[in-house]
Amino acid sequence: MATIVKLQHISSFRGKGTRNLIREGMSKRPTPDPVAVLRGHRASVMDASFHPSRPLLFTGSADGELRIWDTVQHRTVSSACVHSAAHGIICVASSPFIGANKVISQGRDGTVKCWDIEDGGLSRNPSVTIKTNTYHFCKLSLVKKPSAHALQAEGHSYHDETEFRGTFDLESLDDSKEKAERGLTECSNVVREDTHAEGPNYVAIAGELSHEVEVWDLNTAERLVQLPQSSVGGSPNISTSERGMCMAVQAFLPTESQGSLNVLAGYEDGSMLWWDIRHPGVPVTSIKFHSEPVLSISIDESCRGGISGAADNKIVMFSLDHSMGSCVVKKEISLERPGISGTSIRPDGKIAATAGWDHRVRIYNYHKGNALAILKYHHATCNSVSYSSDSKLMASASEDRTVALWELYPPKT
Amino acid sequence: MEVASKRRRELEAAVLDKVGEVISAVRSAQRVDQVICALHSLAVLLFPLDYSSLLSGSIDQRYRDQVLSAKVPSEEERWEWWQAFYHGAAYPTLARVLLLDVASNWLACFPLSARVHVYDVFFVRGLSSEVVQTLVPCLQQNASDGHDINYVLSNTERLLVHCLLENDGVLQMAREFCRSEDSISEWTKPTVARLAQMVASIPDKARLRAPVSLSSHLFFKQITIQLLSLAEKRDEKVLDKVSFFSKSDVDDALQFVGETFSRICRRGSADVLLSEISPRILRHVQSLLSSDIDSAVIDVFEAHPGSQFWLKMIEAIKDVYAVERISEQLLHHLVTEHASDVEAYWILWLLFHRTIRHQTSVRSMFVDKFVLWKTFPICCLRWILQFAVLECPPDSNSLTKGHSISGLVDTLQRLLAVWSKKEFVQSASMEQQTYVSAAVGLSLEKMSKEELDETKDVMHLILQGVSCRLESPNHLVRKMASGVALVFSKVIDPKNPLYLDDSCSSDIIDWEFGLATPDKGNLDTSDCTEKDVLKSKASILAPESDFNHTANRGMSNNVKSKTKKLSEFKIADPDEIIDPVTLNNEPVSDIDDDDDNASENSESSSDSSLQPYDLSDDDTDLKRKFSQLVDVVGALRKSDDADGVERALDVAENLVRASPDELRHVASDLVRTLVQVRCSDLAVEGEEESAEDKRQRALVALLVTCPFESLDTLNKLLYSPNVDISQRIMILDVMTDAAQELANAKTVKPKHRTGSLITSISESQPWFLPSGSGPPGATSWKEISDTGTLLNWSSRYERELPSKSGQIKRGKTRRWSLRSSSVQENQMEWSHNKFPVHAAAFMLPAMQGFDKKRHGVDLLDRDFVVLGKLIYMLGVCMKCAAMHPEASALAPPLLDLLRSREVSHHKEAYVRRAVLFAASCILVALHPSYVASSLVEGNLEVSKGLEWVRIWALHVVESDTDRECYTMAMTCLQLHSEMAFQASRALESVETTFKTRSVGLPSNLSQGTIKIPTHKGNIDFV
Repeated sequence: MATIVKLQHISSFRGKGTRNLIREGMSKRPTPDPVAVLRGHRASVMDASFHPSRPLLFTGSADGELRIWDTVQHRTVSSACVHSAAHGIICVASSPFIGANKVISQGRDGTVKCWDIEDGGLSRNPSVTIKTNTYHFCKLSLVKKPSAHALQAEGHSYHDETEFRGTFDLESLDDSKEKAERGLTECSNVVREDTHAEGPNYVAIAGELSHEVEVWDLNTAERLVQLPQSSVGGSPNISTSERGMCMAVQAFLPTESQGSLNVLAGYEDGSMLWWDIRHPGVPVTSIKFHSEPVLSISIDESCRGGISGAADNKIVMFSLDHSMGSCVVKKEISLERPGISGTSIRPDGKIAATAGWDHRVRIYNYHKGNALAILKYHHATCNSVSYSSDSKLMASASEDRTVALWELYPPKT
Repeated sequence: MEVASKRRRELEAAVLDKVGEVISAVRSAQRVDQVICALHSLAVLLFPLDYSSLLSGSIDQRYRDQVLSAKVPSEEERWEWWQAFYHGAAYPTLARVLLLDVASNWLACFPLSARVHVYDVFFVRGLSSEVVQTLVPCLQQNASDGHDINYVLSNTERLLVHCLLENDGVLQMAREFCRSEDSISEWTKPTVARLAQMVASIPDKARLRAPVSLSSHLFFKQITIQLLSLAEKRDEKVLDKVSFFSKSDVDDALQFVGETFSRICRRGSADVLLSEISPRILRHVQSLLSSDIDSAVIDVFEAHPGSQFWLKMIEAIKDVYAVERISEQLLHHLVTEHASDVEAYWILWLLFHRTIRHQTSVRSMFVDKFVLWKTFPICCLRWILQFAVLECPPDSNSLTKGHSISGLVDTLQRLLAVWSKKEFVQSASMEQQTYVSAAVGLSLEKMSKEELDETKDVMHLILQGVSCRLESPNHLVRKMASGVALVFSKVIDPKNPLYLDDSCSSDIIDWEFGLATPDKGNLDTSDCTEKDVLKSKASILAPESDFNHTANRGMSNNVKSKTKKLSEFKIADPDEIIDPVTLNNEPVSDIDDDDDNASENSESSSDSSLQPYDLSDDDTDLKRKFSQLVDVVGALRKSDDADGVERALDVAENLVRASPDELRHVASDLVRTLVQVRCSDLAVEGEEESAEDKRQRALVALLVTCPFESLDTLNKLLYSPNVDISQRIMILDVMTDAAQELANAKTVKPKHRTGSLITSISESQPWFLPSGSGPPGATSWKEISDTGTLLNWSSRYERELPSKSGQIKRGKTRRWSLRSSSVQENQMEWSHNKFPVHAAAFMLPAMQGFDKKRHGVDLLDRDFVVLGKLIYMLGVCMKCAAMHPEASALAPPLLDLLRSREVSHHKEAYVRRAVLFAASCILVALHPSYVASSLVEGNLEVSKGLEWVRIWALHVVESDTDRECYTMAMTCLQLHSEMAFQASRALESVETTFKTRSVGLPSNLSQGTIKIPTHKGNIDFV
């Protein structure tokens, strides 16, 4: 009915030129449906993550099953129970920095497992298993580094980066050298297909004491640091226990930090702390944007801003000022219905997506913060959203046991 | 003086002698010429005759000489003779001979000219009043003296037409009364009345074959015109003779006019009379109003000579009944002639302002009868109130209040005394109720708060009347109550009007309540266009605000083009259909565009591709959907969670229709909660109706899917003291709907498909190919090359099939098992009446104890609406079980119920209507063979019940005040005769079968009778 009216209207406007017509069509176009729906999980899909280079999607469900999907054919490539069904997976992650053929799964059984992707599926046994002894809801975070094109857009040369990298690690200079090499290759924007990730890889995760954040080395399965570090000497430490559990972490490696790892952690009381692991005793800054537990934090590719979602009815877009060490609100979006369990910023930094408890995936213009689309497909809580590294696909994982693939605002190539 | 009287006596004697001479001559005449001569000898003394024409006639030469030799008297002599002839006994004597003897024996032989000049002339040129007195009795002549009665009568009729109509005889009579002052004889009032009576009786006395112009319609019309011409003629004649009319008492002419008019009214031709009067008086008033509007209107009317006739005419009519008929007809005619309020007021004033002051009968007619007991169009009511109650001239088209309000208060009190009575609501016809309500409302409008306070019991009566109307099942009656209540509240507090009804939100109340408004359609359309205009205005306003918004943001480059666009919208044709949404959207998208451009400028990245999608969002999918009936019951019980109740109501019907296994166990609980949920209290403002609707549909679904369990509970609830009237009514409504649904239940059966069991293989196709049958549009089979080994035993084929027509593709999701239209084609719908099985469960418990008065249950008196609904429901049930054996079993108890006096003679028409409906349903539902067999077997219950239906329907037709009852009773009678006819046919077939079996009819057949009204009369089947 509505379309008929619109059509009549358009036809009446035809005389006034096609510009109008196009605009009419654009302004009221309906929200698109998912390009594909991946069915097969038998429990709530907790997380989804794209393979950094190949058309694969990893998804983990609450019954401990990790599935690998072909995003072209929309078929399951392999399926494996990687964590016990009673505990389930809460996070799957993959990143070019840990190696292209690795995927990390975090279960609620207190382990984080790193898997190799072999022909036709996962390795039988995980290459690394970290016993974190954490039994909470916080998803782990791999380290995010400024991507090449994001940096180039900002006028940095990779030389600066390598210079900073010179003092990267606290422990080992050798590592930093390797790291610098790797950074170099990254800057040339060639995704290496090597099977082994080199150098230390870190994950940030909420700790055994749930108000702490721990950083683990993936290669050695050793804990690197606790934030806040339990008091060593006379350094003035603060306690985070009054902030409640750590609900979300995001580790990143900004160019300004001279190669030291930064972690943004969100807590149960709605506050966020910005840690620099060079100073594990005190956070860089403490902010409180939310009134309810912070559930998700995403940092964009340039590491100069991000987006956070919480259990309240707000989405906050913030920017990080590394020189001042401050975090300021760029845009606050209020929602009709509270609860954002997942956020993601597309690698090209144009749009951001949120996964809502209200079954909806929302798309925002990351620059301006205005809403672009409300995607209604899932009929249960959405647990996470994730973008592919080429920015073309988005996956949304939901409690309705499906994963939906979306193609919105595909980047022009 | 003495000389004069002596001379007159002599003259009279001479005239009498002459007449005697003529009569004897006529009696002894042998030839027609002799008769002509004799008559002529008299005529020539009385009238100036034209001989040439007489001579041209074929009179014999001898007599012609005699005629010619007759002495012609002088003018003066003739006048004296004429006077003596007509005022004395001479004329009646001669007239008798002329009308009887001459007419029957000779008149046929008269040549035409002779008839005109020596016969007709006695009547035509005579004194009209005398002529009438002789002619009219003749109309009733019996065939006695050997006269040819037919000829006598037709001749008399001819003469009457000739005298009274063609020669304005009635007008002449009136003129004769005018001159009575200087004439010889005095007219007494009884004589005038007798004459008027005679004139008016002519059409009734005339024979069937009389000339058409003597038919009452034409005749009265003619004489009315003649008499009314008196009103106009007098203007000229009597202008100088004012004294004539300024006389206080009515003169004889007007007396005659008045008497005649009242006789005409008495004879039921008031409409004919007024169809002539009202245009004339309207014209008169219009001319006066238009000519001289400045000076005091009353003076103008009194001074104008033309008014005098009208001023006195009604006074002259002494007959109260006639006055009433005239006023009624006048009002009706004024409506059809579209008189304005002012004109109508002055017309009424002109006619009645004296009589209403002096005659109490006229006053009570206006103030009492016309307001309380008669019905007129509402504009007439306004005129009546204005004239008789408010007693002052109106402003243009609105009632105006005069100085004295005592009349108004009196009238209002009298109106209210009637209006507030419950009996009036029950027994008065709808028109009457509407009319009185309008009268109450209109006169109430004129009251002020202080005046109301002074009166004693007005407020009390209003409240009483309103409250007893609000209970009525009739929508119209409730509307009347709310109308009056609105007016009342406005009088009490003009700022705070009380709207009892959602529908009447306008300040102007339609006092006709939509009963008679032929040009309502126009109103609607005008309303509609107005709305459209408003809408388009609103839609124009919306972009304007947007425009301001953008302007504030400093986008000055676009301002010009946008103002241009806006002005385009403003001057756009208001009739054009403008979709507000698109109008709103356009500027919005503009803004976005600009925004994007701006950001493009500030940041180098292009975001112009990021056009937002449709951002509308609703939370319908988020609400918890109930999927279990138990949950629904639980949610309905939580009356504090309005949202939950609403959602439960949303799904209830569908869940019930799905008919899950547990339904039988939940049904009773669900019925109870559904009945008791206060859904209209919980629903959002404006959505009470839909919530109510959902509840009822859910209940219907329950009754249909799970009848026995649900009915059990519902019937218990029906007479339970814990439910109120509205719930009882709802229960009955739901049962009615459910019965109908059960009766029309449809089952889908697959059509048996006939296909050949053995397929024939056409020559052209190798046997190993799959057959080409399939849906149209399928491509041909293609062999797929197998990549496998050569030793492949099987060959594979594929082809593309078109998608099915009903299949929907949404996104990438494929949906299977969508029922395509072709599947439906292959299935047939069978309608199957499932109701009869449940009929007893529906009806019997509900029929128990309807007449018991318990706590909160009083069907017979207070809750008569429930009783009506109950009987209606029982009727529907009967209809649904029609022609099934269950109907026959259930009819007797239902008939018993209907027959009980307190039901069938209930004082509310609503109940009686329901009873008539139920009775009709029974008549329809009984199978004729059952009726026949019950007669044969002497089933007294049925036959007596059916006979009662007939008698009772007849009684209703004769005596019921409610018109709808009347029509329903007529239909009922029709159905009864139809049923009786069918039954008699069935009976005949029974008789024949009995005869073939050579078994005599059982003797007790005579106990049952059934009456069939036919054209010949009633035939009793015994």
